[in-house]
Amino acid sequence: MEKKILWKSGLKRHQSSITGIFVLIFLVTVSLSSALTLWQCSGSYIRQEMERLGYGDMTVWVSGLSDVTPLTEEINHLSEIKTVGVQNILYSEYETNEQESDSEGQLIVYEPEKYDYKILKDNLNGYRSAAGDIISGTIWVSASMQSMFGVQIGDTITFPIARSGVNKSFTVTGYFEDPFMGSSMIGMKSFLICRADYEDICSSIEKSGADGLARQGHMLHIFKNGDFSASKLNRLLNESTSLTQYTEFTHSFDVMSGFMLTLQNVFTGLLLSFVAILVVVSIVVLSHSIGASIEMDRKNMGILKTLGCTSGLLRRVQMFQYLTGMIPGMLLGVLASVPVSIYLCRMTVTTTGLLIPANIPVILCGGTLLLFLILFCGFIWLRTRQLTAVTPMIAIRENDVQAAGRKRLPIREKPLSFWLALRQLESGRKRYIGVFLTAVLLVFIASFMGRVNSWLGPRGEGLMDAFNPAGLHMAAQPMGETGIEDVEKTIRSYTAITDQYALAMPTVSVEGIDYTANVITDPKRFHMLSGNTCNGEDEILLTEFVAADLGVSIGDRITVSGPKNSAEFRVSGIYQCANDMGANVGLSRDGFLRIGEDSLNIWCHHYFLENQELSQTVMQALEETYGGDVYLHENSWPGLYGILSAMKLLLIFLYGIVLVFVLVVTRLVSGKLLMREQKDLGIYRAMGMSSRALRLSFALRFAMVSSLGSLFGVLLGIFFTDPLAALILRMEGISNFSSHPGILTVLLPAVVVTVMFTGFAYMASTKIKEMTLTNLITE
Amino acid sequence: MKTVILQAKGLNKSFSAFGNRKTQVLKSIDLEIEQGDFTVIMGASGAGKSTLLYTLSGMDSISQGEVFYKNEKLTNLSEKKMARLRAKEFGFVFQQTHLVSNLTLFENVKLAGYLAGEKQAEEKAKELLTQMGVEEVMDHMPHQVSGGEGQRAAIARAIIGSPGVLFADEPTGALNKKSSEEILNIFTALHQKGQSILMVTHDLRAALRGNRILYLEDGQILSERRFPPYDAKQDQKAREAQLNERLSSLSW
Repeated sequence: MEKKILWKSGLKRHQSSITGIFVLIFLVTVSLSSALTLWQCSGSYIRQEMERLGYGDMTVWVSGLSDVTPLTEEINHLSEIKTVGVQNILYSEYETNEQESDSEGQLIVYEPEKYDYKILKDNLNGYRSAAGDIISGTIWVSASMQSMFGVQIGDTITFPIARSGVNKSFTVTGYFEDPFMGSSMIGMKSFLICRADYEDICSSIEKSGADGLARQGHMLHIFKNGDFSASKLNRLLNESTSLTQYTEFTHSFDVMSGFMLTLQNVFTGLLLSFVAILVVVSIVVLSHSIGASIEMDRKNMGILKTLGCTSGLLRRVQMFQYLTGMIPGMLLGVLASVPVSIYLCRMTVTTTGLLIPANIPVILCGGTLLLFLILFCGFIWLRTRQLTAVTPMIAIRENDVQAAGRKRLPIREKPLSFWLALRQLESGRKRYIGVFLTAVLLVFIASFMGRVNSWLGPRGEGLMDAFNPAGLHMAAQPMGETGIEDVEKTIRSYTAITDQYALAMPTVSVEGIDYTANVITDPKRFHMLSGNTCNGEDEILLTEFVAADLGVSIGDRITVSGPKNSAEFRVSGIYQCANDMGANVGLSRDGFLRIGEDSLNIWCHHYFLENQELSQTVMQALEETYGGDVYLHENSWPGLYGILSAMKLLLIFLYGIVLVFVLVVTRLVSGKLLMREQKDLGIYRAMGMSSRALRLSFALRFAMVSSLGSLFGVLLGIFFTDPLAALILRMEGISNFSSHPGILTVLLPAVVVTVMFTGFAYMASTKIKEMTLTNLITE
Repeated sequence: MKTVILQAKGLNKSFSAFGNRKTQVLKSIDLEIEQGDFTVIMGASGAGKSTLLYTLSGMDSISQGEVFYKNEKLTNLSEKKMARLRAKEFGFVFQQTHLVSNLTLFENVKLAGYLAGEKQAEEKAKELLTQMGVEEVMDHMPHQVSGGEGQRAAIARAIIGSPGVLFADEPTGALNKKSSEEILNIFTALHQKGQSILMVTHDLRAALRGNRILYLEDGQILSERRFPPYDAKQDQKAREAQLNERLSSLSW
């Protein structure tokens, strides 16, 4: 009963603190549960859908086969192979909404009895109750086509089938989920068409002969028989079958699901880092709140001890008091994370191409929250141990004792508010530790997010640099009879070419495993991470992923097989290229010619323009002049803008949380300070200080502490943000994170956090204005 | 004829407590405080003495009526003007010293000087603290000095801006006899120099220092008595007897 009385009175007295703790824990729980939901559901759903739609342990895209059966039989004969699934596809470039694809699309026959794709509602917020049939002349596309090309229902997509002008146009009538090619992270896109249209296009390709632009092909879903690695499976297929002769590209199940999850993992990684910081901030705030409450209630606790209450009882009451804010905060947070997760999943559908189910992982969330609860309880128990030192008489007699005998900062006439603020800070410094640490951590996390954003760049340059083996402004690859000299002449008529090199991307086999080779005419262009670039013809570069996959390091020798023959190369360095989840090797032109043959149209020419702004205009002019004879692209891909806008939304969400945190922390600290200083504030007012001057002085304290904290946050950011972001991105194959932030990116979070603290403190100090002076009256 | 500096007309003050139950603390008080007077408000505990002091000084709001300081209506003043008035025209001494806890005695006085616009605030603060006999402890924090020393510093703080009226609420209420005597001597000295003082007390010895004594009971001024200015050299027995007689007649 006594516990209940004390608990109730404590709740009433510290209502604002408990409410503040409730809000903080609520926000932490919402962010955490949403991040965990997105992370867990993305991972399991993508794998589950890939399995459901028949993606094998390895999927190989092949072309150039008039009949695929002999090849599948050859593969099926291997004892290590369980089965091979086949999907007929057509490779073709496409154009929609006046934009051309930079990768070939894949037209797939819709066969729901074999491959039961899920069909989304037109507004993308659920699935159609009945998928229906695809009518001739219509097409179903991935939802990510919305963010990549702005494709809507009713739009037209045109596929050039042959050079003679044979095109096939389709009207978009639906969106479907493709667990691999549906993501805007993947350049190649799948399209579902009806069998009649498929056969019609096949017939056009046959009629066009050498003029055909579209090609027939197959997706081979290969399932292994036994427990061995994807690399081994790849090596086995390359060495024991004729598969390599027809391979366009090969991806293992893990690489495909990993690629699909890149975006979600990066986002949830950022979100979870943010949550970790919020948890630390919450502990700091909790610590401040407990300390301030004990200080305020010291006398009462002395009285209670006189009445026979034990320290243990008082500590338990404190614990219950805070748990009263925390447990509802957690429960409501979990509940609120349901709509938030649903919203997040729906929001990302045009980026991921999938409607990720927002099923909260109860065990994972519950376990994590329980851990947090135990952490918080342990902290409260530790923090309240000072209550054991409160003896009844000391507490009752104790007055507000200010430190004596040390040198103090002076009080000067002008500006009086400033000097008074400084004195208050000096005499009550530990009361501002919460504000200081919160500012440090929030500026750090805001600066962290700002740096990731700055690295991404306004046009996604950071991500492009991570995925491209070397930088560029624009690129052109002659496919027909057009000479590259003519292309360059056209470019120069708009702007000068300041630098250039050529890049080819053939498939090679390293120690029997297929990788994409980035063959470059100027090897110093590679984004190097360690070692030296491959200047010599017997040198090769590996990505971190390939080096780990092959178990080799710089200086080791490896055998590389190309279209012509095999040769031994020395690993001279490690470079960055996250394309294909990092399954790339880097070679010089001379190096490649040892194993492959040169041909004019394997080279894509990369240019740096004097006026980069003109790249779009130049590309348009080239497009108009040479049409489909020249393949053009810039340092971007259509899906990038979806990623950038998702990143922007994430930033807005995180900055919003920072704002609420600053507001709650300011209110908590202000509330305690104002209650504590009520008498002094009354005296100041009785002496003739206006409430405005007092409020200004009050806000200035927060300005000083938060600016100092922000400064530390900035310093912390300078040293630790890049390693932290690099750690998160490295998990997704991006190793070269370096933000190179501008002054604005570094200082803006500090300025914003300081201004927020100051503004909120000024707002919270309205109580000074409302405060009557009657508390000074003795009667 | 003396000038009226502070005036209350039909002053009412009531508090709402426990829901709708209203307690009327001051009931239609009409009062004039003249310049140079040492006015003492006496009354039993709960009579409304301090409430009257604080409503007259603008520290507390009033429910009904008007209060004028030098013909300016206090109830109409903005918060900013009221603050200026407190800084320049009013000085306050409370029962508890009410010194700002994290400022030294000197800084407390100096700060009041700054707020009152005193040009030589630092020098004047030192001078006043010396006059009050607390120069040796002027760099101490409030909790490091005795109640008497603190109260003397509080008086120095109250008068540094040469206020029109010095308001004192039971200034000796928390002090021992010796310290009380010292404080009352300071008040007498200030009055002799022409300082207008309005003091609330229920201590007879303190009340004797005033030249005008008001008796408050149940929120109303019951009686008023004027005396000649206090002179420590003269025998105070007659004055004390008169006051005692008056208080006895009021059933004190």
